[in-house]
Amino acid sequence: MQESFDKGGIGIGDAISVSVQGKEFEGVLMPNTEANADDAIIIKMGNGYNIAFKFSEVKISKKGTKNRKPEFPQVKIESRTELPNISLLYTGGTIGSKIDYTTGGVYMLTKPEELLYEVPEISEITNIKVRNLFSIPSEDMSSSEWSEMAKRVSDELNSGSKGAVISMGTDTMHYAAAALSFMLDGLNSPVVMTGAQRSSDRGSSDAFMNLFCASAAAAQSDIAEVSLCMHATSSDDYCNIIRGTKARKMHSSRRDAFRPINDRPIGKVDRKGKITYISGYKKASGTSEKIKMITGFENRTAIVVAHPNSDPSIIDFFAEKGYKGIIIEGTGLGHTPVSTKIKEMSWLENIRAAAERGIIVGITTQCIYGRTNSSVYRNLRLLNQAGAIHCEDMTPETAYVKLGWLLGNYGRDKAAAMLTKNLRGEIKERTEYDTFLV
Amino acid sequence: MRMDAKKIDYKDIGFLCGLEIHQRLLTEHKLFCKCPAVINLSSPEVKITRRQRAVAGELGNIDMSASFEEKKSRDFVYAINGNNACLVDIDEEPPGEINRDALLTALSMADALSMKIPYEVQPMRKGVVDGSNPSAFQRTMVVGLDGSIKLHGRTLRIPSISLEEESAGIIKTEQGVAEYDCQRIGIPLIEIDTDQYIKDPEEAKEAALYIGKMMRITGRVQRGIGSIRQDVNVSISDGARVEIKGLQEVAYLDRYVENEVLRQIALTEIKKELKRRRAKVEKAKSLTRILKETKSRLISSNLQSGGAVYGFKLEGFGGLLGKEVNPDRRLGTEISDYAKMAGVKGLIHSDEKLSDYGITSAEEKAIREELGAKKNDAFIIITGEGAQVENAIFYTAGRAKGAIEGVPSETRGVHDTKLFTTKFLRPIPGGARMYPETDVLPVTIEKRVREEAHTISPDIERTLSEFKRELGSEELANQMLASYRLDLYKKLSSETKAEKKFIANILLQKFVELSRNGYKTDSIEEAELVKAFKEYASGKITKKGVEELIKGLAEGGKTSEIIYKSHLKKKTMAEIKQIIEGIKRREPSIPKERIISRVMAEYGTVVDGEDVKDMVE
Repeated sequence: MQESFDKGGIGIGDAISVSVQGKEFEGVLMPNTEANADDAIIIKMGNGYNIAFKFSEVKISKKGTKNRKPEFPQVKIESRTELPNISLLYTGGTIGSKIDYTTGGVYMLTKPEELLYEVPEISEITNIKVRNLFSIPSEDMSSSEWSEMAKRVSDELNSGSKGAVISMGTDTMHYAAAALSFMLDGLNSPVVMTGAQRSSDRGSSDAFMNLFCASAAAAQSDIAEVSLCMHATSSDDYCNIIRGTKARKMHSSRRDAFRPINDRPIGKVDRKGKITYISGYKKASGTSEKIKMITGFENRTAIVVAHPNSDPSIIDFFAEKGYKGIIIEGTGLGHTPVSTKIKEMSWLENIRAAAERGIIVGITTQCIYGRTNSSVYRNLRLLNQAGAIHCEDMTPETAYVKLGWLLGNYGRDKAAAMLTKNLRGEIKERTEYDTFLV
Repeated sequence: MRMDAKKIDYKDIGFLCGLEIHQRLLTEHKLFCKCPAVINLSSPEVKITRRQRAVAGELGNIDMSASFEEKKSRDFVYAINGNNACLVDIDEEPPGEINRDALLTALSMADALSMKIPYEVQPMRKGVVDGSNPSAFQRTMVVGLDGSIKLHGRTLRIPSISLEEESAGIIKTEQGVAEYDCQRIGIPLIEIDTDQYIKDPEEAKEAALYIGKMMRITGRVQRGIGSIRQDVNVSISDGARVEIKGLQEVAYLDRYVENEVLRQIALTEIKKELKRRRAKVEKAKSLTRILKETKSRLISSNLQSGGAVYGFKLEGFGGLLGKEVNPDRRLGTEISDYAKMAGVKGLIHSDEKLSDYGITSAEEKAIREELGAKKNDAFIIITGEGAQVENAIFYTAGRAKGAIEGVPSETRGVHDTKLFTTKFLRPIPGGARMYPETDVLPVTIEKRVREEAHTISPDIERTLSEFKRELGSEELANQMLASYRLDLYKKLSSETKAEKKFIANILLQKFVELSRNGYKTDSIEEAELVKAFKEYASGKITKKGVEELIKGLAEGGKTSEIIYKSHLKKKTMAEIKQIIEGIKRREPSIPKERIISRVMAEYGTVVDGEDVKDMVE
């Protein structure tokens, strides 16, 4: 097929005519995506529809060369001296997903300023500087991107921005939010992460309100913490500001997917930008203290899930690969199989062996909500005696990020001691009644 | 003077007209999720509120119609009931696979229209800006290209047929809020488009009727009000393309088309006059100072609540705003539609009696002076909340300028169902509103599927001749095929032994007559109707009895109960004999014919005329 296109000098975007049983159809040649059959010729007809023909059943002739290229309206960002300056750091994700009209696929924005074009009201509350960090989906991010984000955001804040918004893919946003919480030591201004569950090329996208509310939180609040600002409900009415170390994506697709876990939201922002504070937070001090960056991260840290019938040799596997830390998502209060009828199914000795090798083994709960405990049941006590550390009320993700960060910056012994100490609001001393399913 | 639409030479005026016919399909599930495809009027459990924005489209520009809706800055409320709406319907979960049953029905229609079927069916997103879809687009796919139908020997081309999602049903629109019901949304819908060469309004109606019949013959379409809707595109050489959306009663489709032609002719004449007078539209000025003390309640109440009143001059428009363009609609009404879109109640113009609004002649004089409006000029006054007035001025001034150019291209909706007039809804959408739905994979149409579609493809000629044979009348056969009660007819004639012609007559004539008289014939349970015709077929009730019974059923009764309570049980021959003998006893000399008419008058619903005649003889 390609060969015959080459011969006829026909390329993607050219106007062509397809003849099927004597009938001519005109349109613009579109490329096949991986979703189309290999021998499908796809044209975009005048009425906008894409139509696929079978290559062997048609005759093609060229009618004209390449059509218009998509051009986005120019965005003029005007600066107003009376407004606070903030920075928007763009990293990719659904919020910047656009349809590629030539391939029919989704691509990431290369000019993040385009995001602002659709949310002009941001310019009424803040002057916004857009910084393009990278353009990658959140599932492809690793600790090196977290470190990079931390560096860039501290550059922005140290050079005078009142606050920062970071836009990214939502799937791993709560990992990144936790990582930035730990990496930005001495943070004295708001750093607000946001994203979208629906791509911004549709009029119904949650991106617009999320971006606006996050910008309002960065420009107007005095929250000296890393937080996350996304839809609080399925309606476009207000966003929650959730502490970065206490947030979790709790739904695969809804726009109100992010919830605070074992915590209340710090506050909420309505669609006019009005902030209402709900619970305590670290306030900006008013001094111009610079951020100290602590960006190391031990990548040889893992999360494993303990479940019925699970094979504990997964611990040995990581130990042999030289891992320094393991977070186990335990059942209930933080159990793994311990006193099993079949001896090989007990995790106890594997955990003990790992701990003796110097690996830090933390346990969180796969219930997600609630606190772990190391003494209520005998099996819990046995785990504790074997060297496992129950991680209080931290989410598995926050515990994982914290452990990797501690190991990357403080060495084994300090890390072990700090794992259960509250550093950035990740551990609450009390489990309050109204922090469940909120 | 009003023109007579019947006397227009449609060829001469460059009449162009095309139809888009939308028919809901009868499938178990919706098109992209497993919600049942039923509208059962269950009350909403949850309401969510959303806003939509105009986003830069395929070519980077924002569609005019999209940004127009956004300017209206409305909240969209969606009412949801878990029985027939899920996260897919409210744009909270990606769609599932295409419903194969719906696809097959659409392909069978494509087959019936002798269309070319694409190698792959590619779902697209078509931008929707009025909030009727929570995702701000509708999923749609072409399943057939280049077909045709024949009407009285003339070929009408059907360029494409598509399968798409139904939109949400509007519940109400209030200032700043439009509320939608999500039951309907996502039900499969077929759209069939004709080309633009329909020759006159009559042919437009016939084409719609013909295509409607074809779809009903498939037996796979929903019936009832709203399950089929027609959009009509109309233009004349000096006019512009206008799309009339959502016509539900095909019987009056021609009347709407006629009125649109008359409207375009009238607007064209106004244009000529405006050009001659070198008309122009001036900038708006505040009239707050002049009308500060006004007795006009409309204006003073707005001013008291912090609102505004503005006016602008329409140079050379004098007398033309009051000119009628359609029955009970003037140029002023057309412009006023635009003002309403901005949220104000309407406008006041100088071709109206200003004293009706409480504006004194002294005030009128002051307004004319302020705006510099002379005798041959008109002016428009708009009052309301500040931002709304500003928007309303923007729209109305735009529409007034449009009058100098002639007919604006618009999407219009039904305004008056008795006068068959329409009103402005929004500017006609541009072309760049379609892009691939990347959440759903394209479907290759295998040969096997095409063959299956062919075997169930509706054949209008064959079905018509079958019906003619069954019903013994071409007219009845045609009417039955055109009726949305076709499926019901099929059910009743296959499940009971009642004569087919009788069933057809009841459904076509009696039902229409009863519903005109306020009986809810469409709410009768099918099972009860089957029972009714079974009772008739087994001789337990008479034809007249069936008619009585249907009244009771329409009021929610049950067949067996109504027969008992309303004494509809048919009299036996022995009982008829007794009745006749009773009459003869009282009037020994009564002639035979009188006996028959006497019995029929008294026992008409429970005796059969033939039985009485037999007995008298």
